[in-house]
Amino acid sequence: MSDRIRLTFPRDESYHGVARLVVGGLAARLSFSFEYLEDLQLALDSLLANGAYQAGSDVTLELLVEEDGVEMCVGPVTPALRTDLERRLDESEGVGLGRLLATLVESVEIESRDGGEWLRLAKRTPSRGVAASA
Amino acid sequence: MAPPREAHPFSRGGCLGVSATPERTDRELLRRYHHDGDVEARERLIEQYLPLVRSLARRYSYRGEQLEDLVQVGCIGLIKAIDRFDVDRGVELTTYATPNIIGEIKRHFRDKGWSIRVPRGLQELNVKLSKLIEELTVQLERSPTIPELAKAASVEEEEVLEALETGQAYSTLSLSAPSSGDDNEDLDPLESLGELEPEYEVSEDRAVLAPGLRVLDERERKILHLRFYDGLTQSQIAQQVGISQMHVSRLIRRSLEKMRAEIATDTTDSELRAS
Repeated sequence: MSDRIRLTFPRDESYHGVARLVVGGLAARLSFSFEYLEDLQLALDSLLANGAYQAGSDVTLELLVEEDGVEMCVGPVTPALRTDLERRLDESEGVGLGRLLATLVESVEIESRDGGEWLRLAKRTPSRGVAASA
Repeated sequence: MAPPREAHPFSRGGCLGVSATPERTDRELLRRYHHDGDVEARERLIEQYLPLVRSLARRYSYRGEQLEDLVQVGCIGLIKAIDRFDVDRGVELTTYATPNIIGEIKRHFRDKGWSIRVPRGLQELNVKLSKLIEELTVQLERSPTIPELAKAASVEEEEVLEALETGQAYSTLSLSAPSSGDDNEDLDPLESLGELEPEYEVSEDRAVLAPGLRVLDERERKILHLRFYDGLTQSQIAQQVGISQMHVSRLIRRSLEKMRAEIATDTTDSELRAS
Protein backbone atom coordinates (compact mmCIF):
# COMPACT_ATOMS: atom_id res chain seq x y z
CA MET A 1 0.00 0.00 0.00
CA SER A 2 1.57 3.26 -1.05
CA ASP A 3 1.58 6.36 1.15
CA ARG A 4 -0.96 8.93 0.08
CA ILE A 5 -1.27 12.68 0.65
CA ARG A 6 -4.51 14.37 -0.35
CA LEU A 7 -5.13 18.11 -0.48
CA THR A 8 -8.34 19.82 -1.55
CA PHE A 9 -8.18 23.53 -2.13
CA PRO A 10 -10.26 26.30 -3.76
CA ARG A 11 -9.68 26.98 -7.45
CA ASP A 12 -8.48 30.49 -6.63
CA GLU A 13 -4.95 31.07 -7.90
CA SER A 14 -3.77 32.34 -4.53
CA TYR A 15 -3.99 28.76 -3.20
CA HIS A 16 -1.74 27.30 -5.89
CA GLY A 17 1.28 28.14 -3.75
CA VAL A 18 -0.13 25.95 -0.97
CA ALA A 19 -0.28 23.00 -3.37
CA ARG A 20 3.30 23.70 -4.50
CA LEU A 21 4.46 23.74 -0.88
CA VAL A 22 2.86 20.35 -0.27
CA VAL A 23 4.75 18.93 -3.24
CA GLY A 24 7.90 20.61 -1.90
CA GLY A 25 7.34 19.14 1.55
CA LEU A 26 7.08 15.68 0.06
CA ALA A 27 10.24 16.25 -1.98
CA ALA A 28 12.09 17.23 1.19
CA ARG A 29 10.75 14.22 3.09
CA LEU A 30 11.79 11.82 0.33
CA SER A 31 15.06 13.59 -0.56
CA PHE A 32 14.12 14.26 -4.14
CA SER A 33 16.49 16.46 -6.07
CA PHE A 34 15.81 20.12 -6.74
CA GLU A 35 15.38 19.38 -10.44
CA TYR A 36 12.91 16.60 -9.73
CA LEU A 37 10.90 18.94 -7.51
CA GLU A 38 11.02 21.64 -10.19
CA ASP A 39 9.56 19.23 -12.74
CA LEU A 40 6.74 18.14 -10.43
CA GLN A 41 5.88 21.71 -9.48
CA LEU A 42 5.98 22.95 -13.08
CA ALA A 43 3.71 20.10 -14.16
CA LEU A 44 1.29 20.97 -11.35
CA ASP A 45 1.42 24.70 -12.14
CA SER A 46 0.72 24.03 -15.81
CA LEU A 47 -2.30 21.93 -14.94
CA LEU A 48 -3.65 24.47 -12.49
CA ALA A 49 -3.10 27.30 -14.97
CA ASN A 50 -4.95 25.32 -17.63
CA GLY A 51 -8.18 25.88 -15.74
CA ALA A 52 -9.72 22.63 -16.97
CA TYR A 53 -11.52 21.90 -13.75
CA GLN A 54 -15.16 21.22 -13.15
CA ALA A 55 -16.89 24.56 -12.76
CA GLY A 56 -17.65 25.45 -9.17
CA SER A 57 -15.69 22.58 -7.66
CA ASP A 58 -12.54 22.64 -5.59
CA VAL A 59 -9.35 21.13 -6.94
CA THR A 60 -7.98 17.99 -5.34
CA LEU A 61 -4.34 17.04 -5.51
CA GLU A 62 -3.35 13.51 -4.59
CA LEU A 63 0.23 12.43 -4.21
CA LEU A 64 1.03 8.74 -4.07
CA VAL A 65 4.46 7.66 -2.96
CA GLU A 66 5.46 4.53 -4.85
CA GLU A 67 8.62 2.44 -4.64
CA ASP A 68 9.95 3.82 -7.90
CA GLY A 69 8.59 7.36 -7.82
CA VAL A 70 5.60 9.57 -7.30
CA GLU A 71 2.16 9.68 -8.82
CA MET A 72 0.30 12.96 -8.87
CA CYS A 73 -3.46 13.06 -9.49
CA VAL A 74 -5.25 16.33 -10.12
CA GLY A 75 -8.96 16.75 -10.64
CA PRO A 76 -11.75 16.65 -11.30
CA VAL A 77 -11.02 17.94 -14.81
CA THR A 78 -13.32 18.65 -17.73
CA PRO A 79 -13.19 16.75 -21.04
CA ALA A 80 -11.59 19.90 -22.52
CA LEU A 81 -8.32 18.86 -20.91
CA ARG A 82 -8.22 15.73 -23.04
CA THR A 83 -8.28 17.89 -26.16
CA ASP A 84 -5.52 20.11 -24.79
CA LEU A 85 -3.36 17.10 -24.02
CA GLU A 86 -3.84 15.63 -27.44
CA ARG A 87 -2.71 18.82 -29.08
CA ARG A 88 0.98 18.05 -29.28
CA LEU A 89 1.92 21.32 -30.88
CA ASP A 90 4.88 21.28 -33.17
CA GLU A 91 7.87 23.45 -32.54
CA SER A 92 6.69 26.38 -34.63
CA GLU A 93 3.57 26.65 -32.51
CA GLY A 94 5.10 26.63 -29.07
CA VAL A 95 4.83 24.47 -26.00
CA GLY A 96 1.39 22.98 -25.43
CA LEU A 97 0.31 21.15 -22.31
CA GLY A 98 0.86 17.75 -23.93
CA ARG A 99 4.43 18.56 -24.92
CA LEU A 100 5.16 20.09 -21.56
CA LEU A 101 3.92 17.15 -19.50
CA ALA A 102 5.60 14.64 -21.80
CA THR A 103 8.92 16.33 -20.97
CA LEU A 104 8.34 16.64 -17.24
CA VAL A 105 6.89 13.24 -16.32
CA GLU A 106 6.98 9.66 -17.63
CA SER A 107 3.28 9.01 -18.02
CA VAL A 108 0.11 11.04 -18.38
CA GLU A 109 -3.30 9.37 -18.11
CA ILE A 110 -6.86 10.49 -17.74
CA GLU A 111 -8.94 8.20 -15.57
CA SER A 112 -12.61 8.20 -14.61
CA ARG A 113 -13.48 7.81 -10.94
CA ASP A 114 -15.53 9.40 -8.17
CA GLY A 115 -17.96 10.66 -10.78
CA GLY A 116 -15.37 12.71 -12.62
CA GLU A 117 -12.21 12.59 -14.70
CA TRP A 118 -8.79 12.84 -13.13
CA LEU A 119 -5.38 13.41 -14.58
CA ARG A 120 -2.74 11.01 -13.31
CA LEU A 121 0.93 11.85 -13.78
CA ALA A 122 3.70 9.45 -12.88
CA LYS A 123 7.30 10.44 -12.36
CA ARG A 124 9.96 7.86 -11.67
CA THR A 125 12.96 8.29 -9.42
CA PRO A 126 16.06 6.30 -10.36
CA SER A 127 16.86 5.96 -6.67
CA ARG A 128 16.08 7.89 -3.52
CA GLY A 129 18.36 10.83 -2.89
CA VAL A 130 19.66 11.06 -6.39
CA ALA A 131 16.38 11.63 -8.15
CA ALA A 132 17.22 12.97 -11.54
CA SER A 133 15.23 15.18 -13.80
CA ALA A 134 13.08 13.54 -16.45
CA MET B 1 0.10 30.04 -40.87
CA ALA B 2 -0.43 32.53 -38.12
CA PRO B 3 -2.39 35.67 -38.87
CA PRO B 4 -0.40 38.88 -39.09
CA ARG B 5 0.48 40.30 -35.72
CA GLU B 6 -1.63 43.15 -34.55
CA ALA B 7 -0.08 45.86 -32.48
CA HIS B 8 0.04 44.89 -28.83
CA PRO B 9 -1.46 47.41 -26.43
CA PHE B 10 1.99 47.90 -24.97
CA SER B 11 3.76 48.55 -28.22
CA ARG B 12 4.64 52.13 -28.94
CA GLY B 13 1.76 53.81 -30.67
CA GLY B 14 -0.33 50.70 -29.99
CA CYS B 15 -3.81 50.88 -31.39
CA LEU B 16 -5.84 49.79 -28.36
CA GLY B 17 -8.81 49.25 -30.56
CA VAL B 18 -8.51 52.60 -32.31
CA SER B 19 -8.20 52.43 -36.04
CA ALA B 20 -5.94 54.49 -38.29
CA THR B 21 -3.72 56.96 -36.46
CA PRO B 22 -4.21 56.40 -32.75
CA GLU B 23 -1.83 59.11 -31.58
CA ARG B 24 -3.76 61.72 -33.49
CA THR B 25 -7.09 60.36 -32.31
CA ASP B 26 -5.87 60.36 -28.71
CA ARG B 27 -4.54 63.85 -29.05
CA GLU B 28 -7.77 65.09 -30.61
CA LEU B 29 -9.82 63.56 -27.84
CA LEU B 30 -7.49 64.95 -25.22
CA ARG B 31 -7.74 68.41 -26.77
CA ARG B 32 -11.50 68.18 -26.94
CA TYR B 33 -11.60 67.27 -23.27
CA HIS B 34 -8.98 69.64 -21.92
CA HIS B 35 -9.69 72.67 -24.13
CA ASP B 36 -13.41 72.34 -24.81
CA GLY B 37 -14.52 70.47 -21.69
CA ASP B 38 -15.97 67.64 -23.83
CA VAL B 39 -16.76 64.96 -21.24
CA GLU B 40 -17.72 62.50 -23.95
CA ALA B 41 -14.17 62.65 -25.32
CA ARG B 42 -12.89 61.79 -21.86
CA GLU B 43 -15.18 58.80 -21.65
CA ARG B 44 -14.07 57.59 -25.06
CA LEU B 45 -10.44 57.81 -24.00
CA ILE B 46 -11.18 55.80 -20.86
CA GLU B 47 -12.93 53.17 -22.96
CA GLN B 48 -10.04 53.01 -25.42
CA TYR B 49 -7.46 52.53 -22.72
CA LEU B 50 -9.38 49.88 -20.79
CA PRO B 51 -7.46 47.01 -22.47
CA LEU B 52 -4.23 48.56 -21.16
CA VAL B 53 -5.65 48.76 -17.63
CA ARG B 54 -6.88 45.18 -17.89
CA SER B 55 -3.50 43.88 -19.08
CA LEU B 56 -1.66 45.64 -16.27
CA ALA B 57 -4.20 44.54 -13.65
CA ARG B 58 -3.98 40.92 -14.81
CA ARG B 59 -0.31 40.83 -13.84
CA TYR B 60 -1.04 41.66 -10.22
CA SER B 61 -4.15 39.57 -9.65
CA TYR B 62 -1.96 36.62 -8.68
CA ARG B 63 -2.35 37.49 -5.01
CA GLY B 64 -5.92 36.33 -5.06
CA GLU B 65 -7.05 39.88 -5.50
CA GLN B 66 -10.00 39.76 -7.86
CA LEU B 67 -9.04 40.93 -11.31
CA GLU B 68 -12.11 43.15 -11.63
CA ASP B 69 -11.21 44.96 -8.38
CA LEU B 70 -7.74 45.67 -9.71
CA VAL B 71 -9.20 46.84 -13.03
CA GLN B 72 -11.35 49.32 -11.09
CA VAL B 73 -8.31 50.51 -9.14
CA GLY B 74 -6.30 50.77 -12.37
CA CYS B 75 -9.09 52.81 -13.93
CA ILE B 76 -8.68 55.42 -11.21
CA GLY B 77 -5.04 55.71 -12.27
CA LEU B 78 -6.08 55.99 -15.90
CA ILE B 79 -8.64 58.73 -15.18
CA LYS B 80 -6.07 60.66 -13.14
CA ALA B 81 -3.62 60.35 -16.05
CA ILE B 82 -6.18 61.62 -18.55
CA ASP B 83 -7.18 64.51 -16.28
CA ARG B 84 -3.62 65.56 -15.55
CA PHE B 85 -2.27 65.05 -19.06
CA ASP B 86 -0.58 68.05 -20.57
CA VAL B 87 -1.66 68.11 -24.22
CA ASP B 88 1.11 70.50 -25.18
CA ARG B 89 3.87 68.15 -24.10
CA GLY B 90 5.14 65.75 -26.72
CA VAL B 91 4.39 62.62 -24.69
CA GLU B 92 2.05 59.81 -25.69
CA LEU B 93 -0.85 59.11 -23.38
CA THR B 94 0.20 55.43 -23.16
CA THR B 95 3.61 56.46 -21.82
CA TYR B 96 2.04 58.76 -19.27
CA ALA B 97 -0.85 56.51 -18.27
CA THR B 98 1.09 53.25 -17.71
CA PRO B 99 3.06 54.37 -14.61
CA ASN B 100 -0.07 56.10 -13.28
CA ILE B 101 -2.13 52.91 -13.55
CA ILE B 102 0.61 50.80 -11.96
CA GLY B 103 1.12 53.44 -9.28
CA GLU B 104 -2.54 53.24 -8.34
CA ILE B 105 -2.39 49.44 -8.17
CA LYS B 106 0.74 49.61 -6.00
CA ARG B 107 -0.92 52.11 -3.71
CA HIS B 108 -3.90 49.81 -3.42
CA PHE B 109 -1.70 46.91 -2.32
CA ARG B 110 0.16 49.17 0.09
CA ASP B 111 -3.07 50.50 1.61
CA LYS B 112 -4.26 46.96 2.20
CA GLY B 113 -1.01 46.21 3.99
CA TRP B 114 0.05 43.70 1.37
CA SER B 115 3.63 44.50 0.70
CA ILE B 116 4.64 43.39 -2.74
CA ARG B 117 8.22 43.34 -1.56
CA VAL B 118 9.43 39.91 -0.60
CA PRO B 119 10.78 39.81 2.98
CA ARG B 120 14.48 40.51 2.95
CA GLY B 121 15.40 37.31 4.77
CA LEU B 122 13.71 35.17 2.13
CA GLN B 123 15.17 37.26 -0.69
CA GLU B 124 18.65 36.69 0.67
CA LEU B 125 18.04 33.00 1.20
CA ASN B 126 16.72 32.70 -2.34
CA VAL B 127 19.89 34.29 -3.73
CA LYS B 128 22.02 32.11 -1.45
CA LEU B 129 20.17 28.96 -2.58
CA SER B 130 20.69 29.87 -6.22
CA LYS B 131 24.45 29.88 -5.62
CA LEU B 132 24.35 26.74 -3.49
CA ILE B 133 22.45 24.83 -6.17
CA GLU B 134 25.25 25.69 -8.62
CA GLU B 135 28.00 24.71 -6.21
CA LEU B 136 26.38 21.49 -5.01
CA THR B 137 25.46 20.38 -8.54
CA VAL B 138 29.14 20.57 -9.47
CA GLN B 139 30.31 19.04 -6.20
CA LEU B 140 27.82 16.15 -6.10
CA GLU B 141 27.63 15.74 -9.89
CA ARG B 142 23.86 15.70 -9.58
CA SER B 143 21.04 18.00 -8.56
CA PRO B 144 21.07 18.55 -4.76
CA THR B 145 18.14 17.53 -2.54
CA ILE B 146 16.18 19.87 -0.30
CA PRO B 147 17.83 18.45 2.90
CA GLU B 148 21.25 18.95 1.32
CA LEU B 149 20.40 22.53 0.44
CA ALA B 150 19.04 23.16 3.94
CA LYS B 151 22.21 21.80 5.51
CA ALA B 152 24.47 23.81 3.22
CA ALA B 153 22.50 27.01 3.92
CA SER B 154 22.28 26.21 7.66
CA VAL B 155 18.52 26.62 7.68
CA GLU B 156 15.50 24.34 8.14
CA GLU B 157 14.08 22.45 5.15
CA GLU B 158 10.84 24.43 5.48
CA GLU B 159 12.78 27.67 5.08
CA VAL B 160 14.35 26.34 1.88
CA LEU B 161 10.91 25.50 0.51
CA GLU B 162 9.55 28.89 1.51
CA ALA B 163 12.46 30.69 -0.13
CA LEU B 164 12.03 28.62 -3.31
CA GLU B 165 8.33 29.42 -3.27
CA THR B 166 9.25 33.10 -3.00
CA GLY B 167 11.17 32.61 -6.21
CA GLN B 168 8.04 31.24 -7.88
CA ALA B 169 6.00 34.24 -6.79
CA TYR B 170 8.79 36.40 -8.08
CA SER B 171 8.78 34.66 -11.43
CA THR B 172 5.09 35.46 -11.79
CA LEU B 173 5.67 39.03 -10.74
CA SER B 174 8.64 39.34 -13.01
CA LEU B 175 6.37 39.01 -16.00
CA SER B 176 6.55 42.74 -15.92
CA ALA B 177 10.30 42.93 -15.58
CA PRO B 178 12.59 43.12 -18.58
CA SER B 179 13.48 39.63 -19.73
CA SER B 180 17.14 40.30 -20.23
CA GLY B 181 19.58 40.83 -17.41
CA ASP B 182 21.59 38.67 -15.14
CA ASP B 183 20.92 36.78 -11.95
CA ASN B 184 21.02 39.89 -9.88
CA GLU B 185 17.72 41.03 -11.26
CA ASP B 186 15.91 43.50 -9.07
CA LEU B 187 13.81 41.47 -6.68
CA ASP B 188 11.09 44.08 -6.73
CA PRO B 189 10.10 44.30 -10.38
CA LEU B 190 7.28 46.70 -9.55
CA GLU B 191 9.89 49.31 -8.84
CA SER B 192 11.17 49.12 -12.37
CA LEU B 193 7.78 49.43 -13.98
CA GLY B 194 6.47 52.36 -15.86
CA GLU B 195 8.49 51.91 -18.99
CA LEU B 196 7.28 50.20 -22.09
CA GLU B 197 8.63 46.72 -22.44
CA PRO B 198 10.97 46.00 -25.30
CA GLU B 199 9.75 42.41 -25.70
CA TYR B 200 6.31 43.66 -26.60
CA GLU B 201 7.63 45.63 -29.51
CA VAL B 202 6.34 44.10 -32.69
CA SER B 203 9.06 43.20 -35.10
CA GLU B 204 8.90 41.74 -38.55
CA ASP B 205 10.28 38.31 -37.65
CA ARG B 206 7.76 37.84 -34.86
CA ALA B 207 4.85 38.59 -37.12
CA VAL B 208 4.96 35.07 -38.52
CA LEU B 209 5.22 33.36 -35.14
CA ALA B 210 2.28 31.62 -33.58
CA PRO B 211 0.32 33.24 -30.76
CA GLY B 212 2.26 32.97 -27.55
CA LEU B 213 5.71 32.42 -29.01
CA ARG B 214 5.84 35.88 -30.47
CA VAL B 215 5.85 37.50 -27.03
CA LEU B 216 9.07 35.68 -26.15
CA ASP B 217 12.49 37.04 -26.85
CA GLU B 218 15.16 35.00 -28.56
CA ARG B 219 16.72 33.69 -25.37
CA GLU B 220 13.37 32.63 -23.92
CA ARG B 221 12.48 30.76 -27.11
CA LYS B 222 15.88 29.10 -27.11
CA ILE B 223 15.50 27.95 -23.51
CA LEU B 224 12.02 26.52 -24.15
CA HIS B 225 13.36 24.72 -27.21
CA LEU B 226 16.27 23.23 -25.26
CA ARG B 227 14.00 22.09 -22.42
CA PHE B 228 10.92 20.84 -24.23
CA TYR B 229 12.21 19.80 -27.65
CA ASP B 230 15.84 18.83 -27.02
CA GLY B 231 15.03 17.41 -23.57
CA LEU B 232 17.92 19.10 -21.75
CA THR B 233 17.63 19.45 -17.97
CA GLN B 234 17.63 22.85 -16.29
CA SER B 235 21.25 22.46 -15.18
CA GLN B 236 22.35 21.45 -18.68
CA ILE B 237 20.60 24.52 -20.09
CA ALA B 238 22.17 26.69 -17.38
CA GLN B 239 25.60 25.50 -18.49
CA GLN B 240 24.88 26.00 -22.17
CA VAL B 241 23.34 29.45 -21.84
CA GLY B 242 25.72 30.61 -19.11
CA ILE B 243 23.21 31.54 -16.42
CA SER B 244 22.25 29.93 -13.11
CA GLN B 245 19.84 27.00 -12.90
CA MET B 246 17.44 29.03 -10.81
CA HIS B 247 17.46 31.71 -13.47
CA VAL B 248 16.66 29.06 -16.10
CA SER B 249 13.78 27.94 -13.90
CA ARG B 250 12.48 31.50 -13.62
CA LEU B 251 12.81 32.10 -17.35
CA ILE B 252 10.92 28.90 -18.20
CA ARG B 253 8.08 29.81 -15.87
CA ARG B 254 7.99 33.38 -17.07
CA SER B 255 7.98 32.31 -20.73
CA LEU B 256 5.12 29.87 -20.18
CA GLU B 257 3.15 32.51 -18.26
CA LYS B 258 3.73 35.06 -20.99
CA MET B 259 2.60 32.61 -23.65
CA ARG B 260 -0.52 31.74 -21.68
CA ALA B 261 -1.34 35.42 -21.11
CA GLU B 262 -0.86 36.20 -24.79
CA ILE B 263 -2.99 33.26 -25.94
CA ALA B 264 -5.71 34.23 -23.45
CA THR B 265 -5.64 37.82 -24.75
CA ASP B 266 -5.83 36.57 -28.33
CA THR B 267 -8.78 34.35 -27.47
CA THR B 268 -10.59 37.21 -25.73
CA ASP B 269 -9.92 39.51 -28.68
CA SER B 270 -11.24 36.90 -31.13
CA GLU B 271 -14.35 36.41 -29.03
CA LEU B 272 -14.93 40.15 -28.88
CA ARG B 273 -14.47 40.45 -32.63
CA ALA B 274 -16.87 37.56 -33.22
CA SER B 275 -19.58 39.01 -30.98
